Parts: sequence; C-alpha cells; structure tokens
Amino acid sequence: MTLLQLLVNGVALGAAYALVALGFVLVLNATAAVNFAQGDLVMAGGLLAAALAPHLPVPGILLLPAVMAVMAGLGLAVCAAAYLPLRHRPPVSVFISTIAVGIILQNGATLLSGPEPKSAPPLFGGGTLEIGGLVVAEQSAAIVVVAALLIGAQQWVFARTQFGRRLRATAQDPEMARACGIPVTAMVLATFAIGTACAGAAGLLLANQFFVTPTSGGDLILKAYIAVTLGGWGSVPGAVAGALVIALFEVVVSAVLSYPVALAALYATLLAVLVVRPQGLFGEAARRRA
Amino acid sequence: MTALLSVEGVGADHGGLRVLHAVSLAVAAGEAVALLGANGAGKSTLLRSILGLHPAAAGRVLFDGADLSGMRADRRVRLGLGYVPEGRRVFPGMSVRDNLEVASRQGRAGRRDDLERVFALFPQLRQKAAERAWRLSGGQQQMLAIGRALMGRPRLLLLDEPSLGLSPLLAGEVYAAVRAVADAGTAVLLADQSAARALAATSRVVLLALGRVVHEGPSGALPAGALHDAFLGDAHAAG
Repeated sequence: MTLLQLLVNGVALGAAYALVALGFVLVLNATAAVNFAQGDLVMAGGLLAAALAPHLPVPGILLLPAVMAVMAGLGLAVCAAAYLPLRHRPPVSVFISTIAVGIILQNGATLLSGPEPKSAPPLFGGGTLEIGGLVVAEQSAAIVVVAALLIGAQQWVFARTQFGRRLRATAQDPEMARACGIPVTAMVLATFAIGTACAGAAGLLLANQFFVTPTSGGDLILKAYIAVTLGGWGSVPGAVAGALVIALFEVVVSAVLSYPVALAALYATLLAVLVVRPQGLFGEAARRRA
Repeated sequence: MTALLSVEGVGADHGGLRVLHAVSLAVAAGEAVALLGANGAGKSTLLRSILGLHPAAAGRVLFDGADLSGMRADRRVRLGLGYVPEGRRVFPGMSVRDNLEVASRQGRAGRRDDLERVFALFPQLRQKAAERAWRLSGGQQQMLAIGRALMGRPRLLLLDEPSLGLSPLLAGEVYAAVRAVADAGTAVLLADQSAARALAATSRVVLLALGRVVHEGPSGALPAGALHDAFLGDAHAAG
C-alpha cells in the first residue's frame, strides 16, 4: 500500500513536470530553438500565483486561468524580444538570448518578491481523500486531474482544430507552412504563449507542494531537458513519459533507497536509454521529422 | 489577354552568384504554361521568387495587378497563389486529411467541399486519408502535395518538377490531374525537365537556360532545336 501511495505522489509530481516539459517541447518543435528560460518561466508562474493569492483569496483552481493568461502574455513578450529578432541567426544566438531571459526573470523576481521561499494556494483544499484504502492528498489528486485536463485539452486542440493543424504544420516545416498560406510568425507567437502558459500552470501546481524561490528555475529546466531527451527529442508523448519517469525516481526510488541514490540511478537510466535507443523512448517521430 | 501573373525583369542570387537574369514572363487567367530548362537553369528559384520564398534581387512580380514586392509568402498564397514544391514536402507526421485541411482557409463546410473535390481528383488519397503522410509512396505524396495546394483554391498553381522520381505510370497520373486542374480554369505554371509531358499538358512554353529566358511561344510549335539548345546550350558553349 505504501508503494501505491508513493506511486500516486510520483504521478502527481510527474504530471506537474510534464507541463514543464510540454511547454519546452512545444517551443522546441515550432522553432527548433531550445528555450533555456522555461524553468525560470515556471518559477515566475509560481511566484505570480503566490503574489496574487493574498489579493485574491480563492482556491488555486480559480487562480489558474489568471496565472496562465498573464504567463501567455509573458510568453508573447519573450518570443518578440528573444526569439523573433534572432530567428535567422545561428541557433546559439537563441540559446544565449533565452538564457538571458532566464537571468532577467531570476533577478527581476528577486527584486520584486525577495529571495525568501513562497508558496501558492492549493488547487482545492489541503485535506486528504481515501480511495480504496489509499490515502491521497487532495492536492496530489487535483494536480493529476488538472495536468491531465490541460495536457488533454492541448492535445485536442492540436489534433482536432484548424489552429492546431497550423501549429503542427509550422513545427514540421515552417517554410512549407508559409507556402500553404499559414501566418508562421503568428503561429510561433502562439506556441510561445501556450508553452509559457503551461509553465505558469506548472509553477502554480509545484509552488504549493514545494516552495518557490527566484532560483528554482535552474533545476526545472534541467528536468525538462532530461525528460525531453529521455522521451525523444521533439516528441510530445515522450516529454510526458520522460517527466513521469523523473518524478517516479525522485519520489519512489528515493523513498526506497535515498535521494542521492535515486538521482544517480536516474542519470544511469538516462545513459542506458541513450545507449540502447539514442533517439529516446518515443524518438521515432522526431527522427522522421528530421 | 490580361495577365494574371506578370514577372518583370526578376533577378535572383544564390550564394552571391546571380542565378536569374532579368526574367520576364506572363501567365493569363486559366492558362497553362510550361517552364522548361535543364537542371540548374533557375526554374525552382524563379517559382520560389514568385511565391516570395526566395528574395528577388531585381525586378518585380505582379499578381492580378497587385505588386507582390516585399510581401510575405503566406500573404501571396492568400491572394490566390498555390505552390507544389520540388520534393513534395508534405508534412510527414500529419495524416493525409490533416495535410489537406491545413491548407484550407474556408470554414468547416467549405473545407469539407474542398476535401471532396481533391478526393475526386485523387481517389487514392481518400483511401489513405487517415495514414501519416510519410507512409505514402512517392506518387501518392505528389498527389497529396498537389491536393494540398488546391485546398487553398488558388487562381494560379506553381508546380515544381511534379514528375521527378516517379515511374512513367505515376507521372502520367499526376500529369492527368494537372491537365484536369488547368481544364477546370486554374492557371498553371509548370516547371519540369520532362519536356514531352509538360508540353502536352500546356498551351505555351517558356524556355530557361542559365537563368535567362531563351524562348517563349506556343507549346505545340516549338522551333526545332530550341529545346536542345535550352538543355544543352551550356554544354555547347563549354565545348
């Protein structure tokens, strides 16, 4: 039973990580650029939720749309400032510009909210639920449900709507997308907005279970990068699977062994996967695109 | 006849070298024109310059009287240009249906009508509608690329090497579709190295050699030796 409860906690954490990785991979696919600010954008979402909470004393689930909307706007600004002016330059230019955005966000957050850890409100409440003998924190269950809904909604938009088709076409071949009449710049802006809204949602979800500080982003971008590498560079299902694997190591393996051993085991697993399947777990689609 | 497309003195560069030299041509509404020339003659660069994917270093392109200079490719397409690139370039990870629908600018009902029109032209695509595009054969991908361009309801279709890499049978099917499109009133500018098929499918021909127009006239009345000179002129010059 303990193992099952650990699994539930691991899945909850993995669901939040999946939103981080999803935002990262969306931008990666649409622009072929690695957005190194993604972790700091998650941090910004968490701090935004923490800052809004005293002024809007409502459950986190009601704060979530506001946080995602503000973060989507921030995503547009990041795209306009750090990607669009450099998109025809070598990829390293965008690497550097997104690192710069991350540093600006970190220092801006320190100036605005101080270096102390902050916490966001829970999505619904701080109690527990008993499901078939399993005691599950309401927040953990809510994180899984909310993250699944957000990921599912996003997949629905991508698979079923004309807007989603245009985003996918832009991601697969931007020049050909333009030759089909698709306004590629608008699609890239929309992708940054969606990816950053995902980061904001992840920030709110994570900032309740873990405190958020202006420097939290570094660890998160590393996890997003590992999740995407493990799952398959550019693969959306791979990013979600990779995030779940990381969280299960952090929660389940670390509880059974220890956190340092869990981290070592995670990186050993990553290396083993890359040796056996260099394209990652779901890497076939990414290879086809290339 | 009023020109739908006017290319006026267009020049273009590749890697610092001029590859198109003051190219001028016109295509009237509903007209099918072949653009023939050897590999490297500048056919693809010219089509890409017309669409705005390759910057023109000189001259201008007019479409239905509007100067397209400085206009992005997506806006040119929305004005009524359609493009079938060399190598097909379908969206490989998307289904056949999504490849087609993504190029439509109609509402749901209009999209459905356009889809039916494309499926009527290429029945094989209907059977493969749910397949990922990368699973299609080369000929089916070419049909998909043409169908995708038609989903935008173009007034002028730019086709770049539609028979490249296809078996004679499949190339024949593709050309039959091109003729059907032209017969239905869509103007066509068809770049190809396969001269016989292209001449049969069009009413007028423009020969391009080393980035220059060397002949223009009816497809059925090509002077003896013109084609030979266009394709082998550089070899003769070198010799």
